[in-house]
Amino acid sequence: MLKLMKYEFRKTWFTKLILLGVTAVAEILFLFGLYLENENTLGTSVFLLTILAIGGVLVIGLQSVITLHQDMNTRQSYMLFMTPNSSYVILGAKVLEFGLSVAVTGAFFFALGTLDITLLFAKSGELNQLWNMIQDFLSRITLANGTSILNLNTQTMAIVTFNMLCAWINMVTTAYLAVTVSAALLNGKRFNGLLSFILFLAISWASGWLEQIATQQIPSVETSMLVQGGIALLTAAVMYVATAQIMEKKLSV
Amino acid sequence: MMLESKEVTKTFGAKTAVDHISLSLEKGHVYAMLGPNGSGKTTWMKLAAGLLKPSYGLVYFAGEPVSIESRKHVAYMSTEPYFYTWMTVRDVGKYYQDFFEDFSYDRYLELLRKMELTESMKTKSLSSGMMAKLKIAVTMARDADVYMLDEPFNGIDLLARDEIRACILEYATEEKLLLLSSHLVEEMEAIADRAVFIKEGKLVECVDLEDMRTQQGVSMADRYRQIYGHTEG
Repeated sequence: MLKLMKYEFRKTWFTKLILLGVTAVAEILFLFGLYLENENTLGTSVFLLTILAIGGVLVIGLQSVITLHQDMNTRQSYMLFMTPNSSYVILGAKVLEFGLSVAVTGAFFFALGTLDITLLFAKSGELNQLWNMIQDFLSRITLANGTSILNLNTQTMAIVTFNMLCAWINMVTTAYLAVTVSAALLNGKRFNGLLSFILFLAISWASGWLEQIATQQIPSVETSMLVQGGIALLTAAVMYVATAQIMEKKLSV
Repeated sequence: MMLESKEVTKTFGAKTAVDHISLSLEKGHVYAMLGPNGSGKTTWMKLAAGLLKPSYGLVYFAGEPVSIESRKHVAYMSTEPYFYTWMTVRDVGKYYQDFFEDFSYDRYLELLRKMELTESMKTKSLSSGMMAKLKIAVTMARDADVYMLDEPFNGIDLLARDEIRACILEYATEEKLLLLSSHLVEEMEAIADRAVFIKEGKLVECVDLEDMRTQQGVSMADRYRQIYGHTEG
């Protein structure tokens, strides 16, 4: 499994390296702006870092799906499927490498964001005041039962990050299933791509509906997000088993 | 039987690439799998390598259906290039070393030297002939029970062909089974001792070449012409 993960990482490392490089440039820009107290530079760098944080996680997921597609639909598939590894192990390595990459990327940007905000507060008292105002405003927004919708603190931010990562892992594993169904069951058939895309949308909708049903009675937003994340991971596990089973029984490369 | 297919069939949509082929291959022999383009040779090999799933029937290795376990003992070389484009010749060897216990990196280096390839070469910049040599080197560096080489002489010059032939014959021991497909019938005649003729997805016959020569006075090339002559014009 570890060896397969190593090669999965090797297939995607260049994109990750570019992402890291651009992030480093944006961070230097941020520090430079902070040092010079230049609002334009600060604004640009914060915008860039935010885009990179969201976009980075998206790109890693998309690349993982594209790599799986290539691994099943090009001659490179022989490299993977002639090795003495079951489809469960092959797919497991992909899911783990992707999950780990997303988690590390998420944790990296979370840590970087926390550090940058701390530096920003330390440097500027005005910004600190603005931050407190935002927090105060959000804490006044309450649900029907009087519970606060959001308290901006590190714990909440961590839960939101967790929730988003789980949702993304769920979406990517659903895409794995759609791509595998396309390659193994619908290969050569008309409207192959369209049918697998409809399958992806249908499963994503069903997964969202399940999360909504499961969390509608939970008053706390944070608990609700945690449960949503848990269900998303559970659904991702079901997608993994279904995908591996189809690969094992039906996939010809 | 080392490798056996029972009524194995593979269809792609409306096309039947392999049609109820029952075939038994024994160790200690070098088989030439012959037939014109599209006759089903490659498909049968991929079925035996476990890369394709049969539509009907099964392929067996040492009495068990082809599986993950059999991949440890069957070395398959595809006719198409299949290495990751980012790989160097060294990476290819390391990859095989990572996944196949029977792979010898020393043997790989020796074969690379004979094929005049170096570890630092990038696979994406190899010529078709060099790529063919690399595929042979990495496949034959395994100490497998079965070697299936699909068109091993494609795109390879005469001198390199001699090297490959010598390499193949070196591995043709009592314990191993070699199956080679090729259009170069005369070339195969010098290596193989048995021949499998496939036509339009169906098995025509599997013959012992020496028996055919002595009993019928027919060479492999003659038999090839008899079977496919009218189809190849």
